[in-house]
Amino acid sequence: MSAPRDFGPWLLLVACALALVCGLRAPVAAETTPAPEASASAAVVTHGLGPLPNGASVPERLRPPGAEVDDGGPSPVIFPVQSIGIRFDHARHVGLGATCTTCHDRARTSRSSSDSLLPAGTRCDACHGTNHRGDTVTANGDPLSACATCHLGYRPADGQRVLRTSLPPPHLRFDHAVHAERGIACASCHGAVGSLELATVDQLPRMRGCFSCHTSDAPKGAKPSRACPTCHLTEHGTLLVTTFAEGKLEPPAWLHDAEHGPDWLERHKRVAGDDSAFCASCHAERFCTNCHDGRVRPRQVHPNDFLSMHAVAARQNSPTCTSCHQEQSFCLSCHQRAGITMSGPVGNLTHQGRFHPPPAIWTEGPRGPGHHSWEAERNLNACVSCHTERDCATCHATAAMGGVGSGSTSGRHTDPHPPGFVTRCGRALRQNARPCLVCHDPTDPDLSSCR
Amino acid sequence: MLAGMRRRVPLAVTCVACVLGFLGGARRAAAYESEIDASVAAQFYTLESPYGEPLLRRRRYTNTLGISLYDLQGDRSTNGPVLSFRSRVRLDADLGQDPAERDPTSSRFVPGLEQAPFDLMYAYLEGERYFGGAFGFRLGRQYVADVLGWWSFDGAEVALRTPAYLRFEAYGGLEQRSGLPMLTTPRFQADGVARGSRDDLRADQWTSYLEQSQVAPAFGVAVETSDLWWLHARLTYRRVTNRDSVVISPFLPTDGVIRTYSQDRVSTERFGGSLRLSPVSFGSLSGSIVYDFYAGLVSEQSLALDAYATSRLTFGADYERVVPTFDADSIFNWFAHSAVTSMTGRADVRLSRRLDAALNFGARLFETLGDPTTFAATSDQAVVKRELDPFTMLFGRYRYNDGSVSLRSQADYGARGHRIGADVTHRQEYSRGYYDSLVVLSLYDFKDELRPDRYATSFSYVLGCGMKPGGLGDRARLGVEWEHAMNRLVGQRYRVLATLDLSVFR
Repeated sequence: MSAPRDFGPWLLLVACALALVCGLRAPVAAETTPAPEASASAAVVTHGLGPLPNGASVPERLRPPGAEVDDGGPSPVIFPVQSIGIRFDHARHVGLGATCTTCHDRARTSRSSSDSLLPAGTRCDACHGTNHRGDTVTANGDPLSACATCHLGYRPADGQRVLRTSLPPPHLRFDHAVHAERGIACASCHGAVGSLELATVDQLPRMRGCFSCHTSDAPKGAKPSRACPTCHLTEHGTLLVTTFAEGKLEPPAWLHDAEHGPDWLERHKRVAGDDSAFCASCHAERFCTNCHDGRVRPRQVHPNDFLSMHAVAARQNSPTCTSCHQEQSFCLSCHQRAGITMSGPVGNLTHQGRFHPPPAIWTEGPRGPGHHSWEAERNLNACVSCHTERDCATCHATAAMGGVGSGSTSGRHTDPHPPGFVTRCGRALRQNARPCLVCHDPTDPDLSSCR
Repeated sequence: MLAGMRRRVPLAVTCVACVLGFLGGARRAAAYESEIDASVAAQFYTLESPYGEPLLRRRRYTNTLGISLYDLQGDRSTNGPVLSFRSRVRLDADLGQDPAERDPTSSRFVPGLEQAPFDLMYAYLEGERYFGGAFGFRLGRQYVADVLGWWSFDGAEVALRTPAYLRFEAYGGLEQRSGLPMLTTPRFQADGVARGSRDDLRADQWTSYLEQSQVAPAFGVAVETSDLWWLHARLTYRRVTNRDSVVISPFLPTDGVIRTYSQDRVSTERFGGSLRLSPVSFGSLSGSIVYDFYAGLVSEQSLALDAYATSRLTFGADYERVVPTFDADSIFNWFAHSAVTSMTGRADVRLSRRLDAALNFGARLFETLGDPTTFAATSDQAVVKRELDPFTMLFGRYRYNDGSVSLRSQADYGARGHRIGADVTHRQEYSRGYYDSLVVLSLYDFKDELRPDRYATSFSYVLGCGMKPGGLGDRARLGVEWEHAMNRLVGQRYRVLATLDLSVFR
């Protein structure tokens, strides 16, 4: 009898592949706030609307250290999306003699990442001929002092109302003062802002850039901490906070090769097996135990109706099963309860039919595919999930121990030992003789030859 | 009292209470933070034997309680010493069991089956970053996770970090096994032997179900690199010893005397190494190896190479070879000859911060060894034979502010059957997370070639919803899920899952 054909899964796969191809061709949206439409009055001043004139992309040499090509800016989970309501040309101001701290002087003393380092409007007054003091902002009539010179979308009818600039504090610990005291230039983290017009979220630091100092390769004499909590927020002792309103904090690919992509579940053991302490930076034990030692089937591991097809899965990839399940307890006890084991309370249900292929194939035939020895060598874990040692010893133990004989010179030639066993049987016997004695009488010559 | 809890509960509860009392009294209440979380899961479903009977009713209630204390050292500093205590206990009851399944005099008796096992998952005191970050320790029931596997023991671990980017680790104690007085389970002992309490069994009854080995001394050492983000390597060694008396032969000897073996002997003795090298942003190279001293073979080896083609596209290739090994008490060690080798290619693309996808494809190679001197001297055993099972998996994920849609599909083929299908999962939050919903649709086709009658196309769905009771925010969630699977073999199968999660952090 053959299985009925169902093309549903194939159609689904083809549809997903098409969606992937279409998605790859589509432009990637940058995580930046689109600039508001410029007003007619602002059309005179065209600079300062973006990092470079005419929307040109910022060359790598001007971006912050660690920024990758087309990385879309720093993570919005660390640096929440900003809303910039002004135009500003950093390059022009630097050309006029300004330095970073001319406007951002608080950066030298700031101890917390939640400090606002944006200059107040009063900082502009001296040059622009404006007066931002008090409740009402005034201008001297010079074009430079016009509100629309800086405030995006401003129209005279707006009066004192301008677009709001919002730079939410990052989800980080950062002490500008410490870095300034150590002579670390602004560009070391922010890139060449002085060569750009508007500084966007893209000029904020990248973790890879931080690693140029916060790692073993630190500049001589410096001793920056390499621990995650130096910069990342923590909770529950030393666990990093990973859940924010903006999303989940996840590691980038270059950090321990631990990008939590959609197939992360399939490959996480490689990282966890090598460096579980790295995982423990963010995950408490219960995160692991919920799947590996849970009592509710994790849907992301076992799809719906896995119960019906778990036997096929076990035959195909049993090493994966054993990463969570004990065969001689978890698997065996349920199989015994279900009556599909050789030794068990409702086993040997001969009236219900044989579980394995007929004896002519399973036990008597040549040892090719379909024979139980082939299957055991191919995937022993599948055997161990149903059989106890008694089932195997029935035939494989020597006659002296209750089996039907074994060995190369006697019995039914049911010696299961692997090739080359004789060279290591002595060591195994000394380390643990118990499995030897299950099948061999202590006086068995084969056993004596190993001593 | 529920079976399985018995006399072990009071002792364990007393011990945990004493530790908590000690810690609580050691500091002013305001000096540390505490976290208590509890979850309750109730599951109702029925399993059917492939023969149609027996029917197993599952009425499972799982209660988990976690108690943790943080910053016991007092004032917190970003990189200063940290002292904390973490614990978690669990009651896993199945009230749908037939009492006859636990009655040794019944023909339906299943050895080792417990109605309500109650276990202490972990409970340890941990100190970190002492002496300028050089020293750390753990004391109590704890996990060790490395290339040797995920393992648990009762004892102590100390770690020493040196300025030379090396960290040394040593631990010792008792492997967590059922039979210990502290609410233990057999989940962490090596596989291959069915054992547990034989308290109610006659000596000649279920001889292949061995008396549980209660005290298994264990120790391990490890050295690994630390603080090098581009390199991590770990070498680890662990040895566990079986000490208790164990029955030798599963058959009753003609003289009626059950023979036992009582000498101290190896349970597991393994050495492992792992390495990850990612010095540049081009990619990563990693590998691992495990050597089993008792079986005398390399039981696991793997090698993986990832290439970051762009910041959004990664290609990878994995190789993994596994030979099953077991507790040294198990005869199955000597039936395990051959490896399962998996070779996987991988492409992972991040189309945007919201949309990503991954494709895995490859094959598993199954080998069987032939040796005419140990197998029957027939020519068909003289060569190594191989079977290749191809597989592919496709994953997709779209995440947005209030929810996500994800796809997980796979196609496995081979001489032992096929499994092909996909799940589509949709999660959605409403009213700023106050309510949430879950929809899962699955379609799979499978066939077991060893049992030609076991084939079916299965469709199933899950509908779920949850809510966070008012005033408690993210600290509480009440959820219900309904699962309905239908296929030719089982007809209709239903499952109901109800969960309640609570968390208090102060």
